[in-house]
Amino acid sequence: MLRMASSFPEEVLEHVFSFIYDDKDRNAISMVCKSWYEIERWCRRRIFVGNCYAVSPPMVIRRFPEVRSVELKGKPHFADFNLVPEGWGGYVYPWIAAMATAYPWLEEIRLKRMVVTDEALELIAKSFKNFKVLVLSSCEGFSTDGLAAIAANCRNLKELDLRESEVDDLSGHWLSHFPDSYTSLVSLNISCLGSEVSFSALERLVGRCPNLRTLRLNRAVPLDRLANILCRAPQLVELGTGTYSAELQPDVFSSLAGAFSGCKELRSLSGFWDAVPGYLPAIYPICPSLTSLNLSYATIRSTDLTKLVSQCQSLQRLWVLDYIEDIGLEALAAFCKDLRELRVFPSEPFAQEPNVSLTEQGLVSVSEGCPKLHSVLYFCRQMTNDALATIARNRPNMTRFRLCIIEPRAPDYITLQPLDDGFGAIVEHCKDLQRLSMAGLLTDRVFEHIGNHAKKLEMLSVAFAGDSDLGLHHVLSGCENLRKLEIRDCPFGDKALLVNAAKLETMRSLWMSSCSVSFGACKLLGQKIPRLNVEVMDERGPPGSRPESCPVEKLYIYRTVAGPRFDMPGFVWTMDEDSALRLS
Amino acid sequence: MELQLGLSLSTTHNPIDGSDINNKEFDPKEILSLKPWSHDYGCLLDKKRSFEDAFGKLKDASQTLPLLLWSGHPNDEDDDKREKKRLSCRLSKIHEEVLEEDDLVVGWPPIKSWRKKMLRQRQGGDRIVKNRVAAAADGKENNGGSNSMYVKVKMEGVAIARKVDLRLFHSYQTLTSSLICMFDKSLQLEKDNANYTLAYQDKDGDWLLAGDVPWQTFIVSVQRLELLKNGG
Repeated sequence: MLRMASSFPEEVLEHVFSFIYDDKDRNAISMVCKSWYEIERWCRRRIFVGNCYAVSPPMVIRRFPEVRSVELKGKPHFADFNLVPEGWGGYVYPWIAAMATAYPWLEEIRLKRMVVTDEALELIAKSFKNFKVLVLSSCEGFSTDGLAAIAANCRNLKELDLRESEVDDLSGHWLSHFPDSYTSLVSLNISCLGSEVSFSALERLVGRCPNLRTLRLNRAVPLDRLANILCRAPQLVELGTGTYSAELQPDVFSSLAGAFSGCKELRSLSGFWDAVPGYLPAIYPICPSLTSLNLSYATIRSTDLTKLVSQCQSLQRLWVLDYIEDIGLEALAAFCKDLRELRVFPSEPFAQEPNVSLTEQGLVSVSEGCPKLHSVLYFCRQMTNDALATIARNRPNMTRFRLCIIEPRAPDYITLQPLDDGFGAIVEHCKDLQRLSMAGLLTDRVFEHIGNHAKKLEMLSVAFAGDSDLGLHHVLSGCENLRKLEIRDCPFGDKALLVNAAKLETMRSLWMSSCSVSFGACKLLGQKIPRLNVEVMDERGPPGSRPESCPVEKLYIYRTVAGPRFDMPGFVWTMDEDSALRLS
Repeated sequence: MELQLGLSLSTTHNPIDGSDINNKEFDPKEILSLKPWSHDYGCLLDKKRSFEDAFGKLKDASQTLPLLLWSGHPNDEDDDKREKKRLSCRLSKIHEEVLEEDDLVVGWPPIKSWRKKMLRQRQGGDRIVKNRVAAAADGKENNGGSNSMYVKVKMEGVAIARKVDLRLFHSYQTLTSSLICMFDKSLQLEKDNANYTLAYQDKDGDWLLAGDVPWQTFIVSVQRLELLKNGG
C-alpha cells in the first residue's frame, strides 16, 4: 500500500484530494505520510477554526498557502447570554490583516461571535478581488459604514448574511452603495438591522439579481411593500418578511396573496414581526411546500398557529413561540410527519406565572407523532421524569436535545424528585446524542448516567446542577467524545478538574462560571499543561491579590498551539508558567 | 438625613458557598446577580440627574477603567471620530442591556439579548413598574404578600451586585441591617468600619439619599439601591 502511494504522481493525488471536502477526512489524509501532507496542504481550499485563539493566523497561513474559504469562531457560547464580559476578545482584524497579504484570492469569510470592526470590513472590501461570501453570525463591533464598503467594492459578492449580529445602525443608506452594475447577489440577510433601507433601492437590487435565492428583510420593511419585492423575485427559495402587520385591506391582501402564489420555489419563511392573523391566509397556498418556518417573532396565538401548521405537511423545521401551546403541538404531531427540528421559545420568560398552556405534554406529543424529530430546543415551566423517559423511548434517534425549565432547580412537578432519571433515560436511549442541555433539579446521579451512556456526546451545557465534584468527574472521565463543556452555578471545584486535567487537551474548550474552582487550581493547570490556555476572568481585581483558595468568578480553558494571547482586557489573566512570577 | 452604616468586616469568606446550593431551603431567587459592573457604570452615565451629578466626589476614580480598556484594544486606529462613534455605540448597548436585565439571575433564562429586546419592545417597558406599584399597594392591605419586589443593590467598590426583595422589610432600619450582612461577605479587602450611605434611584431616574421620605413612599418609587463610601 505504501509502495503504491508513493508511486502516484503528485498531480494525480492532488486531483483525487480535490474531491475530499470534509475537514476530518482532509486531516486524515494529511497524516498518511510526509508527501501526502505536503500535497494536501497545498490544495486545501477551506479551513474551519472552531476557536480563533487555538491557532494563530501566521501558523494557518504557513501550513495552508492556497486557502479560498475561512470560517472562524470567537467568543464562548455563553457570551450569547451576557456571561462573557465586554471586551473579552475575539477580534477578527488580525486575521483579516494577515490574510489580506497571504490570500489575495480569498472568496469566503464566515465568522461567529467575533468582534468585527468597520476597519476590518473595509480591509476585506479592498483586499480580496474575488470576494464572494460574508457571513457574520452573532458578531458585533461594526456599523453600517462597514457594510457600505462591502456593498460598494465587492463586485462578485454572492452572499451577505448578518444573522443575529449587533450592528451600529447609522442609517439604511448603505444598501444604495451596491452599484447599478452589480447583479450577482444570491443571498441577503439583513433581518437584524433596525433602520430603514431605501425601498426603491431594495426593489431595484432584487429586480436586477436573477440568481437571488435567499432574502431576509428587516422589521422596517412594511407589509405593503412586500408584494412588490416578491414579484421582482419569483425564484426566491427563502424569504424573511418584514413587519407582517397592517390594517386589513382587501387590495393589499390580494396582491400579497398573488405575489406569494407566484413564488413556486419558496420553501422557507421567517420574519413575521407583529404578525396579524388576518394576513396569514396569504401564505396558505405555499404552506404545503414549506420545509422551514420561523415564527419565533410572531405574536399569533394557538388557534391561528394550529391552523397554519396543519397545512404545512412538508415541514421539516419549526421555530415558534410558546403561544403554540400543547394543542398546537398536537396538531404539529398529527400533520407534520416530516418534522426534524423543533424550537419553542418563551413569550414571557420573566413572568412568574405561566401565561400559556404549554407543558411537557406538548413535547411528548411531538416526540410520538414525528418519527424524524432529532433536534429539540424547548422552553417550558414544568417537566416530569416520566415525560422525559417517554420522549427518550419514542425518539432514540435524537441527536440534539436542549431543555430549559424557566425556574432553576425545578423538580419533577408531580413526584418532586430530581430529574436525574428523566435525563438518564435520554442519554441511555438516544445513543447518537451529540448535544445536550439540561434543566431542573439535578444531582450528581444525572452526571453518572451521562458519563456511563453519553458516548457520542460532543457538547454539554449545565446550569444550577450537581452536588459535588463527583458530578464533573463523571462527565470528564466518561464522555469520550466531549468537545465543549459549559457550566454555570454548579458546586464543582478543583478535584475533578485536576484529576481529569489531561482530558482538557482533548476538548475544544471548558467554561465554568460561578463555580468553586480556586485560583490555586487554575494556576496549577496553567503551569502543568502548556498547550492549554487557562483564562481566569475576575472583575474584582487580580486573582493574586486574594488567597489561593478563593474561587474565581469565571474560568475559560481551551487547547491551543498558539500559546497565551496578548489581546486580553484587564480583567482576564492567563495562567501559565510565567503567571506565577507576574501575579505574585 | 444620612444613614450611616458602620460595617465591621469578617475574615475572607467564599461568596459562592457550596453549602448554600445544597441547602434544601435555598431559594433560587436569592442567587447572586453577578453583573459585570461596567454595565452598571454605563447605565448610570445615561440617567437624568446622573450619578456624577449627585455623588461625583464619592465615586472611585478607578471605575472609569472599562472605557479606557476598550479603547486600548488592538483594532483602534488614530481616527478619533470612529473611536467616539464606537464608544457611544457601546454605551448605548450597555444601557440597553441594563434596561433589559430585569431578570433575577444574569443570563437566565438562556435567551439571546436580541430576542429579549424584541419581547420587551412588544410588551412595553412600563409593565415592570406597574407590577411593583401593584405589589406595594397589595402590601398596605396584606402584610407580607406573596409578590416580590426585587431591586438591585450595589456597594461602591464591590463588583458583584445583589438583589434584595423589598417586600421582606418594613423600615429603613431593617433594610440597612440586612444590607450590612449581605455585603459583609464581599468586603474582603476593605478597611474596617468604613462608613456607608444608602442612596436610591427613583422612578424618574434621579438619585436621592434614602431616609427622607416615608418607607411606603420609598418602596413604591425605588428602582435600585447603592451603598456609597463616605469620606476618603
